[in-house]
Amino acid sequence: MARPHIEPFCDRDVPFKPMKLKGFGGGMHYKMLSLDTDTGACTMTVKLDGGYAQKPGFSWSELELLVIEGELQVGDKTVGKGHYFFVPAGHAMPAWRSAQGCLLLMMYNTGEPSLVESDTHHPDARTDRYHETDSYNDIPWALGNVTKPNVASGCLIKLLNFNDRSHALTFLYCMTPHFWQDNISYHDCAEESYHLWGDSWMMQFGTVPTGGYFWRPAYINHGAFASELGCIALGRTDSKLFNHFHYNPWSTVEENQARAAARTAERDPLLYRWIVQHGHNHPHGPEDFEDTMQRIGGSRKYRSVQPDKNKPFAHSHGQHGQHHHGDDKAHDHDH
Amino acid sequence: MSFQNLFIPHQRNKEERQWLDEEIAEQQLRYQAIVKAMEELAPTRERWYAEFLDRIQTRGFNVDGDMRVKIQHEDIPLRPDRPHKVVY
Ligand SMILES: [Fe+2]
Repeated sequence: MARPHIEPFCDRDVPFKPMKLKGFGGGMHYKMLSLDTDTGACTMTVKLDGGYAQKPGFSWSELELLVIEGELQVGDKTVGKGHYFFVPAGHAMPAWRSAQGCLLLMMYNTGEPSLVESDTHHPDARTDRYHETDSYNDIPWALGNVTKPNVASGCLIKLLNFNDRSHALTFLYCMTPHFWQDNISYHDCAEESYHLWGDSWMMQFGTVPTGGYFWRPAYINHGAFASELGCIALGRTDSKLFNHFHYNPWSTVEENQARAAARTAERDPLLYRWIVQHGHNHPHGPEDFEDTMQRIGGSRKYRSVQPDKNKPFAHSHGQHGQHHHGDDKAHDHDH
Repeated sequence: MSFQNLFIPHQRNKEERQWLDEEIAEQQLRYQAIVKAMEELAPTRERWYAEFLDRIQTRGFNVDGDMRVKIQHEDIPLRPDRPHKVVY
C-alpha cells in the first residue's frame, strides 16, 4: 500500500531519532510523520545539531524542504525560517552546514531518503524543475481560492510548487484567528499538512496544535473546520485539488468516491463518457449519496420520481430506484 | 502517492531495506494508536456532528467560500445504522 491515513498526529509527542542512513552527516535527527510502505517516500521533521555538515550530493528521490527554525548554509548561501527548496531527483545540492543547528521539514516524494555524494547532477536529473524561495518574505498571502468551490475567507495561501502534469500543489496556508467553515470536504487526491504554528480543528479529528500533522488519502471526510488562535501550516496535495463539499458526516469513502464520479458525469459528461466509461454509452451515472441518503424528510430520490430530460445520463427507474448491474458492471443497455 | 515527478531507479541496499522495514513497523504502531484515540473521541465527535447539523440550519452551510445556505430541517441526514469510522 501507499501511505496510510495518519491523522491526527503531533510530532511533539515523539522523540527525535538519529538518522542512520548513509550519506547524511552525523548530527541529523528525525521524526517520521508518514511513510509510503512501497516506495519509502516520506515526510519527516528533521533536526540538525549545531555544527552539522553534509557533503554535496543528490537524492534518488525528489525532495521538498522547508526551514522551520534556525539557519541553514547551503553552499555559500545562508537561508532561514520559511525558506523552501524544490529539488528534483538527481539534482546535486552543494554542501550543507548549520552553525547553530536548525529544524527542517523534509519531504522525499518518490523514494526513501538518500544522499549520494556528488558535486554534479545525475544525467537524468530534471534540473529545470529546481527552484527555491524565501516563502515568508518573498511571496504575499493570497486568497485561498485556488479551486472552485473554495475555502471561506480567512484561509490564505502562498503557492510554493505546482506540478504541471499531476497538478499536485505545495503551499503555505494560514487561518486567521477564529476562522470557521461549516462544511465537510473530501478530495480526489491525498492531502498532507504540517502545522508550523498554531491550532486548527476538524470535527472528525479534534484540535491539531503546533507540530500537528496529517497525511490523508483521497475521499476521506474532513471538516467542519475552525481555528481558535489561527495557524500557519505547510500543505500539499499529490494531484489536482477539488473540494467536494457536503454535509453528511457519515458518508463512507466508497460513497464519496461514487459521488465524485457522479459529479464528474454531470460536470464533464463527454469526459466521463469517453474516458471513464471507455466509450460505453451508459445512461446511469454512479450513485450520488446526496440523492439517496436517508434524511429527516426521507431521501430526495423518492420525493421526485420524474426523470430530468436535461440531464444526459440521468434517467428515472421509478419508485423502485435500483436494479442490478451484475458484478462486472459491463453489459448492454438498451434504455 | 503520485507526485509523478522523476524518480531515478536504483538498487536499495541492505541497510536501506532494514531502515524501511523498521520504519514500516513503527508506522503501523502509530497508526494503531491513532485508530484507538479516534475511537475514544467518538462520544465528543457525535456532539460535534450534532452541533454542526444544527449550525447549518441556523447560521448556514458553506456552499462556496463565504456563500452560505440554510439547510432545511427535512434535508438533514440521518445517522445510518452501521459502524462509523473516520480513520481509514
Ligand atoms: Fe482538504
